[in-house]
Amino acid sequence: MLRLLTVAACVLAVGGAFAIPRLGFAGSAPPDKAAALRRLGAIATTDSNTKPVAPPDPVVRSIPARMLGPDAPTPIPPAVLRVRNGWLASDGRTLVAVYAGSAGDDPSVGRLVVVRQNLVSGNQTVRIVAPDTTGALAIAGAPLGLLAKTAALRIRTTRGRLLRLDLDTDTVAGSTLTRSSRTAATVTHRLPPRSSDQVSHPPGR
Amino acid sequence: MRRAAVLLASLVAGLATFPGAAAATPAPVAAWYVYGSTPAALSSSAYAHGCDFAKAQPGAGVRILLLDFGAARKLNSNTWGAIDFSNATFSNADILAALERAADGYHNCHVRGSADIVYGNSNYHLTASGMSSTDVWYAGYHQSETAQALSSYQASKGYGSQTADAASDMEPSWDAASITKQLVNGEAAQGWALYYDFRSADGCPQSGSADGPCNNGWHASDVGYVSDHGLAVPLPEIYYPVNANQWTVVRKWWTANQSRYSFAGVTASTGVGLTPVAAWNTLGSLNSGLVGSELACFGC
Repeated sequence: MLRLLTVAACVLAVGGAFAIPRLGFAGSAPPDKAAALRRLGAIATTDSNTKPVAPPDPVVRSIPARMLGPDAPTPIPPAVLRVRNGWLASDGRTLVAVYAGSAGDDPSVGRLVVVRQNLVSGNQTVRIVAPDTTGALAIAGAPLGLLAKTAALRIRTTRGRLLRLDLDTDTVAGSTLTRSSRTAATVTHRLPPRSSDQVSHPPGR
Repeated sequence: MRRAAVLLASLVAGLATFPGAAAATPAPVAAWYVYGSTPAALSSSAYAHGCDFAKAQPGAGVRILLLDFGAARKLNSNTWGAIDFSNATFSNADILAALERAADGYHNCHVRGSADIVYGNSNYHLTASGMSSTDVWYAGYHQSETAQALSSYQASKGYGSQTADAASDMEPSWDAASITKQLVNGEAAQGWALYYDFRSADGCPQSGSADGPCNNGWHASDVGYVSDHGLAVPLPEIYYPVNANQWTVVRKWWTANQSRYSFAGVTASTGVGLTPVAAWNTLGSLNSGLVGSELACFGC
């Protein structure tokens, strides 16, 4: 009887060690996933190696500003944005990518998504800029190549109206747009302005 | 004594039968889209991501460090990898090197808890890129193999607080269900890594439990397949309340027609309709006790 109790207790303990609640699995793990879940449940919280390893040499490699067409994968899910096109630039330390299109659930709502990364510190922000009922948006004018400064992109609505995305403030304005529009996004780390965000030759010049 | 034995046996049986206790709302952890220019730059930024993740990691549990390397691709006759968000291609060898630097960064900056470092990709335009179903199967196979190689690296370096797995952003709108399933099948055939499915159930029904249509010819059953077959585990994108409704339909259909279905947690983002915590709570409220305590967040 004691043996039975011990076995039962062990089964109980092993079930808990799967971190099953962590992954949402109730009770025993599905057979196909059992080994992987056991591995996940067995991770320590310390390393046996207590010495730091040498970090890689920091690589400062700029990405010339470029348009992103349909061949380039988009990280923004279709539920958020139906992408028309995108634009990307990096000075090797910071990166900004802008995706233009319409809201995933309403093609009449124009939407821009701005992704910024600090490639040195590792942090990233995602910000949505929604100029309301403009119809789908597309980037119509943007600086290309190696840039000293980038400040703005020219955005075109489906009706041909031109807007301006200010990358210093992530706001959109246009001659017939009466207000700047910006989501109340819960962005926790906004990267500071940097030289690569300034335009050396503004769109439309 | 006999009564005690019966009680314990009942408890064990109960664990196998009833939903687990609902996890508390987790704190979000950062996930990253990978933009690279060269393999060296990829490794450099991956190291920074690993360190940044470790320094900010909340709590003492295992958390997913998700690096999304872009779309799965066959680069040449014998080389698989990904095309990242800057439109640069990287082989799995390049990606493994970057993942190893992420592991180094996590080790150097480790404060508490542990990490599951995950090689993420997507099904973006697989067919349009010229990949066949067989190519995609091998993409999944080699992705799992790469995760296993990362785990070997972690073990060889004494990084006991880490492990490695794989993930894919398999969006219905981005390619057909039939070819996307090959990513999951190949990954399952290799058989080592969990395969977190972090995407939306785009266009799927928002209520009921029927196998209704989703975008691009997919059905709820297809979404269920790529998120639960083999080693796949759903980590759904919940950006708006509708996403939680759609995934609940998928869960109900799969549970009724295939097998038990649980969510590993939630993938969230800043700047969308739901905050990360609200996203987790929304899915949890519709699937009580079936949502694990992971909350990966792009933009956090």
